[in-house]
Amino acid sequence: MGLILPLLQAAAQQPDAAQIMSKSRDLSITGSLSANISLTITEKGGSSRSRTISITTKSYADGLEKRIIKFIEPADVRGTSMLVVDNKNSADEMWIYLPALKKTRRIVTSEKGKSFMSSEFSNADMTSPTISDFTHKHLEKSGTNNQWIIESTPVNEDKAEEYGYSRKISYISIDKSQVQKMEFYNFDNELFKIIEIKSIFPLSDGKYLVKNMVANNLNTNRKSEILFSNISEGVKVDDSNFTIQNLER
Amino acid sequence: MCILVGIGSALLIPGTEIDPEMRNYVPKSIKSRIETDKIESEFGVQDMVVILFSDSCIVSTDNLNQIKNIDRSISRINGISSRISPFTVKSITSEEGMMTVDPLIKRIPTDTADLKQLGKDILKNRFARDIVVSSDLTTASITATINNSVTEKETLHKIDSIIISNPGNTKIIKGGLPYIRQSLVRDVSRDAIILIPAALLIMLLILKANLGSWRSVILPFSVVVLTTAFSLALIPLIGWKMSIITLLVPVILIAVANNYGIYLVARFQELSYRYPESSRKELIRMLIKSLNMPILFSGLTTVAGILGLLTHSIIPAKQVGVLAAAGVSLALLMSLLLIPALIFVSGSGLISKNRKNDKTRLFENILNNLSKLIINNPGRILLVSAVIVILFASGIAFLRINTNQENYFAPKHPVRQASEIINSKFGGSQSISVMIKGDIRDPDIMKGIDMLTMEIEHQKGVGSVFSISQVIREMSKAIYTSTEDGYNKIPDTREAIAQMFELYNMSGSPDDFKQLTDLDNTKAHILIRLSEPENYIIKSVKARISELKVNIPAEVSIGGYAIIMSDFAESIIKGQISSLLFAVITVLLLLTVIFRSFKGGLIGSIPLVASILVLFGFMGYSGIALDAATALLSSIMIGVGVDFTIQYIWCFNLQIRAGLSYPEATSAAMRTIGRSIIINALSVMAGFGALMFSGFTSIRFFGYLVLISIGSCLIGALVIIPAFLMKYKPGFLGFETDYKKTVKNEKESNIIGINTAAFAGSGSTA
Repeated sequence: MGLILPLLQAAAQQPDAAQIMSKSRDLSITGSLSANISLTITEKGGSSRSRTISITTKSYADGLEKRIIKFIEPADVRGTSMLVVDNKNSADEMWIYLPALKKTRRIVTSEKGKSFMSSEFSNADMTSPTISDFTHKHLEKSGTNNQWIIESTPVNEDKAEEYGYSRKISYISIDKSQVQKMEFYNFDNELFKIIEIKSIFPLSDGKYLVKNMVANNLNTNRKSEILFSNISEGVKVDDSNFTIQNLER
Repeated sequence: MCILVGIGSALLIPGTEIDPEMRNYVPKSIKSRIETDKIESEFGVQDMVVILFSDSCIVSTDNLNQIKNIDRSISRINGISSRISPFTVKSITSEEGMMTVDPLIKRIPTDTADLKQLGKDILKNRFARDIVVSSDLTTASITATINNSVTEKETLHKIDSIIISNPGNTKIIKGGLPYIRQSLVRDVSRDAIILIPAALLIMLLILKANLGSWRSVILPFSVVVLTTAFSLALIPLIGWKMSIITLLVPVILIAVANNYGIYLVARFQELSYRYPESSRKELIRMLIKSLNMPILFSGLTTVAGILGLLTHSIIPAKQVGVLAAAGVSLALLMSLLLIPALIFVSGSGLISKNRKNDKTRLFENILNNLSKLIINNPGRILLVSAVIVILFASGIAFLRINTNQENYFAPKHPVRQASEIINSKFGGSQSISVMIKGDIRDPDIMKGIDMLTMEIEHQKGVGSVFSISQVIREMSKAIYTSTEDGYNKIPDTREAIAQMFELYNMSGSPDDFKQLTDLDNTKAHILIRLSEPENYIIKSVKARISELKVNIPAEVSIGGYAIIMSDFAESIIKGQISSLLFAVITVLLLLTVIFRSFKGGLIGSIPLVASILVLFGFMGYSGIALDAATALLSSIMIGVGVDFTIQYIWCFNLQIRAGLSYPEATSAAMRTIGRSIIINALSVMAGFGALMFSGFTSIRFFGYLVLISIGSCLIGALVIIPAFLMKYKPGFLGFETDYKKTVKNEKESNIIGINTAAFAGSGSTA
């Protein structure tokens, strides 16, 4: 009993892993903003592909969001625009305007696509994950060096399939509750992807936006980097901007 | 020394690796391999594992659940790059201005009506029908391309475990090149374990039957075992790997290497009976003097024939040439140096106590009758022989070349069955890859890809074609209505194509076509699956692509496994011609030296040329194709079969020199050397007969064809040559030989008897 007690005390000192993850998530959820995003994908051999888009989001009280995305670079896709409207109980609505074809099409898909714009980031990496989709636990050394080390495992096979990994290890700063690094393990329990947060953009409400992050795929040796620029928070955008007519403008 | 060679070899052999990869049979420097490597460095290895699920109706809830579970588990294997299954196929539809990109099977239906509807949806979906589900809805497939991140063995082992842990009502068959390779490795090992002991056992029995005592058997048999072990040990020593056709090496050596030992032991036995008063030393001296030259000639012609394989561009064919030539050379060396020494040590123990001359009577009767027939009707025999040879030769027109690895397996082999289902229902297990390097978004290039895709789809033997232009067409159908101009068309501007790519990136998964274009759209890949992977189909598809590629304003490379195999077939033809020419010319030169006459060389080559024509004609009529294994046969046949002619002409010449008339010489030569030629031919045939136990169809065919080819060499030597010599009495006969001096030294009055002993080998003591 004498031996077990210190261990129990140590465990009691650590906040619940799910709470830490939840707090970190809440801090990274942003309200309305506009920014430019540049995405660079670099192949193993050094060849790379870049995209620059502008994004404007408007958050609503119910937590839902509307987004308008416009392609800036490269030139051949300039003017391509997307409108995404979150739905609470059904799939997101998504429209895309293709200027070269002068066509707007609504896209209905049950899969958002595992990859964000063909990069190493998944769509799940681009949004805040639902805490209840995982079970979370501290790993050894969690709580030392100003760092929580938390392992998140999907609650079931379907969730594992949806997210595309068997477990994720998040490194979160204790003082700021900011995610610094994430390691993803495949279904053979091998590390296959690392996302490192290179810099953040502090928002006025105490929250933060990940400004620069890099994903390395250890299987393909491909690297993707996302960099936010021209960030304007709390922009007041009229609802009329989030229409198909505006998309085609 | 020999013991050391034996121990060294025994230690090296277990380290031999097996190479089941047929593309390694052709040199890396040939164009198709260079192009294929280039394509695979961009789009990954195109070798596909195909898992087939069959049931009376595959579209049932249980079956689909089983396939889904297996598919999901396979997707998580590291060694798998991409896969196509009923659960990866997308359905792109357009309705009332709305484009829907959804998985073909969003949820597995549980009621009959929904299952029926799903069946209809599958048949309507061009990316599903005959690609992931057969048109008759009885079979579904998961096709997975493998990568090199882990070993192929590990990937296949994981797939096997997944299948075992997901039982169901479907019958599951696994196929595709990786499984073919796995079966080859297993079956080559199995074959080696069966064929080598079988050939050794057959040879042991033949030696016992011909040499009488077990002590006599040990000498030639030890030569066989040592040379076989030596040649096999060379494989890991040089750094080569065992292939299917390398399996032939031990069997060639077992069948051939004993001959010289048999000659020596039999000759020693003969001399011992003939000169019981002579000392062992004198007998050995007589033995060496009488047999060194003929054995040397025999060995040299065999090595020359086998070395013809070096002119092949097929790598394992060259290896078989080197290994078999090295083995035969060692056998020759051991026979000339070691066996006489061992005989000296063993002495009287070699002589069988029961010398049964009665056994020879049957042979004598047959040979007497044959010689009478030849003496009385040489012209007719030549005419009939010529007609028979011409009849056989006409079959050459039907000779096929087959480089399809699937055909190595018997029709009931699971790998062969899987290939047949894949070829008949799922577009084919072997593929041609076309890589287009340029700005893929350029409408001219995209239209070129589209034109190539549409044209090749309708070529005979093409099962299915996958290209990025099909995706663009499908998207245009979703963007435009059927009445609009852009519907089912490739757009006219670069921007429109670029935006379509971007649209797909946003709506579907880019992995859906990572096999079809690269990240920055500077390269595209057209994958052509062949439902009939026969050489002539591959050649015609390749020719059509070459015609059409001039319309694509970009760099176009043609590669893929099937193209390598087509080049392999060309190599077989070229190798066949060059090795035949090499062997025939070398043997002709050797015969010219042996008979001291060019005309003699030409006449000695008649049975070889006739046998080559008969062999290829027989293959043409019987439908046995030239492949990696059967292509080696003619060189081996020349190497082995020429001995019989040398022996007959040599012996016949001695009768003539002894003053016998042509009919007397024919009769005497036939009576004496004829018997040993027959026995030698039978022992070679029996040795190769072990090949009939092979698990590979091609190797078994090789075994059958040896019967035909050695049989025709035998008839050539004992029917055509005697008739020819009788009829034309060529002037070169009567040539002098060193052997004649040996005869004089022996002070033998009956020259026929000596000749018999010199050449009779196995026959003289049986």
